[in-house]
Amino acid sequence: MAKGRVAIAMLGLDQHELGAIAVARLLRDAGMEVVYAGRFQTPQTVVQTAIDEDVDVIGISCHSWEFVDYTPELMALIAAKGVDVPVVLGGSVLTASDAQQLKQQGVAAVFGSGSTSDGIVSTIAELVSARQRRIHVA
Amino acid sequence: MKAEANGQFTPSGIPIKDFYGPEDANGSNRPVEVPGTFPFTRGRRAQAMPVGGWIQRELSGEGDAARSNRQFHYLLDKGQTGLDVIGDTPTQALMDPDHPLAANAIGTQGVSLCHKQDYLELFRDIPLDRITVSLSLPALLCMPGYYLAAKAYGFPSDKLRGSTVLTPFYSEDVSYAIHLPFKARVRMAADVMEFCAKEMPRFHAFVEDTYYFSESGLDPVEEMALGFLEIRHLVREVLKRGVDIDAFAPRIAILVNCGMDFFGEIAKIRATRRLFARMIRDEFGAKDPRSWSVVITSHTSGLTMTAQQLTNNIVRGTAQTLALVMAGAHAIEISAFDEALRTPTEEAHLVGLRTQQVIELETGVARVVDPLGGSYYVEALTDEMERRIRAMVQEIEARGEPSELHDSGWFRAFFEDKMRRYHARLESKEQIVIGVNAYQLPPEEDTLLREVSETKIRPYRERIDEVKKFKADRDLARTKAALVMVRDRTKLGENLAPSVIAATEASATMGEIAGTIRQAYGFPYDPHGAMQPLI
Repeated sequence: MAKGRVAIAMLGLDQHELGAIAVARLLRDAGMEVVYAGRFQTPQTVVQTAIDEDVDVIGISCHSWEFVDYTPELMALIAAKGVDVPVVLGGSVLTASDAQQLKQQGVAAVFGSGSTSDGIVSTIAELVSARQRRIHVA
Repeated sequence: MKAEANGQFTPSGIPIKDFYGPEDANGSNRPVEVPGTFPFTRGRRAQAMPVGGWIQRELSGEGDAARSNRQFHYLLDKGQTGLDVIGDTPTQALMDPDHPLAANAIGTQGVSLCHKQDYLELFRDIPLDRITVSLSLPALLCMPGYYLAAKAYGFPSDKLRGSTVLTPFYSEDVSYAIHLPFKARVRMAADVMEFCAKEMPRFHAFVEDTYYFSESGLDPVEEMALGFLEIRHLVREVLKRGVDIDAFAPRIAILVNCGMDFFGEIAKIRATRRLFARMIRDEFGAKDPRSWSVVITSHTSGLTMTAQQLTNNIVRGTAQTLALVMAGAHAIEISAFDEALRTPTEEAHLVGLRTQQVIELETGVARVVDPLGGSYYVEALTDEMERRIRAMVQEIEARGEPSELHDSGWFRAFFEDKMRRYHARLESKEQIVIGVNAYQLPPEEDTLLREVSETKIRPYRERIDEVKKFKADRDLARTKAALVMVRDRTKLGENLAPSVIAATEASATMGEIAGTIRQAYGFPYDPHGAMQPLI
């Protein structure tokens, strides 16, 4: 089974990109394929990328509070389009209470400050294999 | 007994010995340096600072201009002696609030500014002849608003004492993309310097901001090497225009970062003053001693501020500020205890300001100039830092033109590499950060200051209609004529400052002016394709 494909994106005007690039490299080093969508994405462009590129996980890098408004929109769009791709958010700006709220909105995992490289890779790898199993069964 | 290297290093990789003696500081061969004289290692002046001798300010700006103005008055009322204004993300990216991509970011990480009325609100009842304003904003597009507001409130432009950061080299890679080519960004920076040298002689038109790009994990040597690279390039650009070096060099300042390596940061600032003095006198021929002695200001490192155990950040800010005062910084902003989570709350502002006041008025460290001068260790570190910064500048300049290094992605790769190194050092515990990779607390115990620090600012979406109304109500023919002027001046290669001021006066918005400049360079008016040009 492939090690998986992950889309990495930033929403709106959130621009501090080095974190997104660092995570993209980390996943690549772990053998995953990264579809790097980068900055200035919207929920629409992210979902379209996920469909076009058949990714296993959508990763959103956050360095601003724009995620507060964009995440519900993104999750609703994913549900409306029936896209079976888990969403993870990462960034030092994400607090424990943000993580709680985001998970209630259906986000699969949240990597706030203090997350380790190993933790990020293993969580995403699990999400990839879970999705691939689901698709295989289907 | 002579000490040997003890296996420890500064963050810049300088090997450390157990103790230092006269032989490490060039021994008796070292001429005794006096503060206020060339090469200004020990400071710009020989006199100790009077009370309030350094400008004490905290980064501010949130919501709209009126809300930010209330914030300014609060801070001034609490004893702040200068202002530091940061724009929200759309403002920093030269976008108006009615751009569809801006909606969720209006006023959350700074103040939303885009037209002349905003600046009148922002500076209402601020004594601009007395209070220095640091514009941490896109210089060419925001200085005009400040200039016009000062004029409207009766402050002559030759009395204005603020400053603005110029960031043509690295902002596109590690800060806010403005979607203009490298040569346009350099030209816009030089335009501001040339214009202010004539029209705003007391205004520091060129603050080399090494803070923001070094936050990607650069060490102090890398920070200053990249800073000097940009300074040298911009100085050459302005000299090419026939402006005398002594007409603008005294108005160059450097806004440095300040991390946790106490003596390393002090040595960095001392070495920077010395390097600048030698460079500007010996390489660029400055004759006025005021040109030789560069003003150093600082914003303490946000990267060192943690989301864990927020109270520890107050301790970090205190140690950093102590280092800065002992190094002779002229203006200080402390990254607040909530820095890892947001732009500062009122509570965090007050703690930052009080930290500065306690250090100034209770510790006595500012009683003398350069209290560490003559310390074998600090002098040795200063010499080594100077040597390494100079060598790195030479090495990078030998790689090629900065425009080529930028366009080929060399700078970007450099920043990415340093960010990776920073995280690797944290994960390997080569770099210890309390609360992050040592002495952690479980979340349920980590509650001090948590609630106030996690309060979020809602996007100021009411600005969208307000800006649309501003655009609808103006004399459109006048605005268009002013934009045509901006476009023509851009193409002709003339200084853009006068026409951007005129366009701002004629109610053109920042997004419109920026788009017009982009078009003149053959770039899309709006990089995101959502806004249409007026002309």
